[in-house]
Amino acid sequence: MTQYVLRRLVLMVPVALLVTVISFALLRLSPGDPVLVFAGEERDPASLTALRHELGLDRPLPVQYAAWLNHALRGDFGRSIRTRRPVLPSIVERLPATLELGLAALTFSVTVALFVGTLSALKRNSAVDLLATGFTLAGVSLPGFYLGLGLILLFALVFRWFPPGGYVPFVEDPGGNLRRLVLPAITIATGSLAVNLRQVRSAMLDVLNQDYIRTARAKGLVEQVVIARHALKNALIPLVTLVGLQVGAVIEGAIITETIFFWPGVGRLAVDSINGRDYPVVQAIVLVSALSFMASTLAVDLLYAWLDPRISYSERRT
Amino acid sequence: MASRRSVIRGAVLLVGVSPLASLAACGPSGSEPQPKATTASATTAPATAAQAGGSIVFALESDVINFDPLVSRAFVDRNAHYQIYDSLVRIDATGKIIPWLAESWETSSDGLKLTFKLRKDVKFHDDAADKPSKFDAESVKWNIDRYRTTAGSQRSGELAPIDSVDVVDQYTVRFNLKSPASHLLAALVDRAGMMVSRKAVEAVGQADFTNKAFRAGTGPFMLTEAVKDDHITLIRNADWWGRDKDGSKLPYLDKITVRPITSSEVRLTNLKTGDAQVMNNVAGKDVAGVKLESTLQYQEKGAYSYDSMIPNRKEGFIFNDARYIKAVAMAMDRKEILDKVRFGVGAIGYGPIAQNHFAFDPNFKPFEKPDPDGAKKLIQEVGKPLSFEFLVSSGDAVTLQLAQLIQAQLQKASIDAQIVQLEFAQILQQQTDKVFKGVALTGWSGRIDPDGNTYDFVVTGAPQNDPSYSNKEVDRLMNEQRQTSDEAKRKAALQAAQKIFVVDDPARIWYGFGVSQLLTNKKVTGLEPYPDRIVRFQYAKLAK
Repeated sequence: MTQYVLRRLVLMVPVALLVTVISFALLRLSPGDPVLVFAGEERDPASLTALRHELGLDRPLPVQYAAWLNHALRGDFGRSIRTRRPVLPSIVERLPATLELGLAALTFSVTVALFVGTLSALKRNSAVDLLATGFTLAGVSLPGFYLGLGLILLFALVFRWFPPGGYVPFVEDPGGNLRRLVLPAITIATGSLAVNLRQVRSAMLDVLNQDYIRTARAKGLVEQVVIARHALKNALIPLVTLVGLQVGAVIEGAIITETIFFWPGVGRLAVDSINGRDYPVVQAIVLVSALSFMASTLAVDLLYAWLDPRISYSERRT
Repeated sequence: MASRRSVIRGAVLLVGVSPLASLAACGPSGSEPQPKATTASATTAPATAAQAGGSIVFALESDVINFDPLVSRAFVDRNAHYQIYDSLVRIDATGKIIPWLAESWETSSDGLKLTFKLRKDVKFHDDAADKPSKFDAESVKWNIDRYRTTAGSQRSGELAPIDSVDVVDQYTVRFNLKSPASHLLAALVDRAGMMVSRKAVEAVGQADFTNKAFRAGTGPFMLTEAVKDDHITLIRNADWWGRDKDGSKLPYLDKITVRPITSSEVRLTNLKTGDAQVMNNVAGKDVAGVKLESTLQYQEKGAYSYDSMIPNRKEGFIFNDARYIKAVAMAMDRKEILDKVRFGVGAIGYGPIAQNHFAFDPNFKPFEKPDPDGAKKLIQEVGKPLSFEFLVSSGDAVTLQLAQLIQAQLQKASIDAQIVQLEFAQILQQQTDKVFKGVALTGWSGRIDPDGNTYDFVVTGAPQNDPSYSNKEVDRLMNEQRQTSDEAKRKAALQAAQKIFVVDDPARIWYGFGVSQLLTNKKVTGLEPYPDRIVRFQYAKLAK
């Protein structure tokens, strides 16, 4: 088991390297010059040339990449072209906000999906099931920015239950933090909720028809135990895969929602940096995002073994 | 020898009472800080305690990127700069240049020396425990030299006319110019004239200063906190030199929290819920609605910004034939654009010189009535139908609507404009490389002096001359207006040049002016829009 984990961790290194090469190449291939965007409407050629030189953007691409990698390996991701701030601290200081939002959304999505999905599988074609199925369809179809604006109008402006966005660190004002968390978390959760709910429902339907469920019922187990211990646990495996991917995608998922709710997370930094062709920042965010994706896939694989004893990663010695 | 005119101008502004008093009468709460002479007695008078104090939230369209005026490029940065830093001169709400850190100034008769007399009661914010550094002629020399000589300075272009800076005495400083430059003073209103504490810069170092510019100015508010993309905190500078018209100390507010909120809908919602009290950029479609809000007050004023379409006049491109440009200018219905896309917010325009510029000509209306038939004739004269690529930046629905409306208008003159949506970064690149095929829809945020709206766009080889425009007479007139500080002469030259580069041999197609907006909670008083679209918070009062 330990060996398996170690091997997976070592394999992450070439993948991460490949990610940096690809993101570097894609960024440089996409049209748009960071110095020009930074200069905005005022373009004094002399100062642009000077700035390009200062940032090393006038050197050959392989040299630029080598220099970037050389620094990155030592933990120095350079400075942002737009804001001149060191890149790593700018990302690290935003991670808590993004993680909080992403995990809140995920918790909400998974909890509701489990309850409603199971219910809807048990009462197939009932009103609850139809409502849930209808909701999933709407959830998948609604773009995040539209839903976000709608929630702000309804719950911030009309009912005034929640503030229309913003962020307060939890340690400073726990109540304020949670109140501001609700609307963006629901916005993000709605998209994945639809997917998760459908997954739980169909997996449950599938499992409920299995022989072992009939056996469990036949041996006189209480229905709740049949559902919770025999059906749900087996129906969880596909959900774990999905959720694992969603954890890995927390940063991407937050991009639009963070912008609407002015939530100061990594997603918003990503948007601004891509628009500004802020190469060092985008490269670092892509790397962080890729690493978190790899880590969550590993976690999912390990969870499988726990959920299903038939799956084992130990080396068999015969 | 100082020119008589500039001495008189400086002196009138120094005494200040009459122009400032009249200004105060038309502004909502009186306006510019009064000159020192009137403040001596006022310092002993109690401050208007009933209305002083309080904190507000300012919803800004995007996050402040750079606090150091030396590296700042983004328009949005100036909303913070104007609260934190004082510059040598400023403008009043009508756009007239007024004394600020400089009490007066004079230009020598040959136009090569610009001398400033400075205020003597100005201190930097950098005190913390020990003594704050004092602002004097040495500070000016250090700042101007920093802007001129630091590698990567974004101010070196604006200050290019300066050859050297001399400290004449502790409160007198002289700029020696390479050649007469009538537009230089206007540059000193903004970032190039902003005074930064040397102590603050040296404490954190040049590279980090732009992110750690805490307690670094002399202005009405001090920057004490900056959390990227979340908020910045500005705290009242109790030692600021400015006084209101009654002689009370400015500013009134204790604290301003600036929150960057990119969505204009969400900004507006924050104003409506009371989570923010001030914003300065309202979408055209929302203006009619906010005027009806009982808790909000909406104000607007003509701005220096303009809307334009940039043709590529380079050889080998379709708009190399200037008649085509004129045909497009003739076919457009500017009023329809203003009414339908801008919801009547803004003004119709034909050239780059705006309503609040001294050189504005209200009678200059060359394309007042849309003339698709005239445009058709002009195209027939060229002999080949006009079809071109119309570059529009993606991501904004209103911009696309605007482009589609223009497309429909041009259709009436049988002009085929093919809309191509690209990211702003890509359009910028094509403009700079001068490889865009037809026209790019790109405006300009506007400058205080009309030179800043014209020169760099129309003079041969100038940095922003994206159409590759070249007209000898325009070059001559534009350089002539830089050589003299006589406003009447400048106005004549600018207007003559404008007629050429708009009508006779067009460089661009101009079709409208922007607007400076201010939306405030009614509890906040004292604010009024300025033509540069930046809020002056030192005059804001908050009702309890």
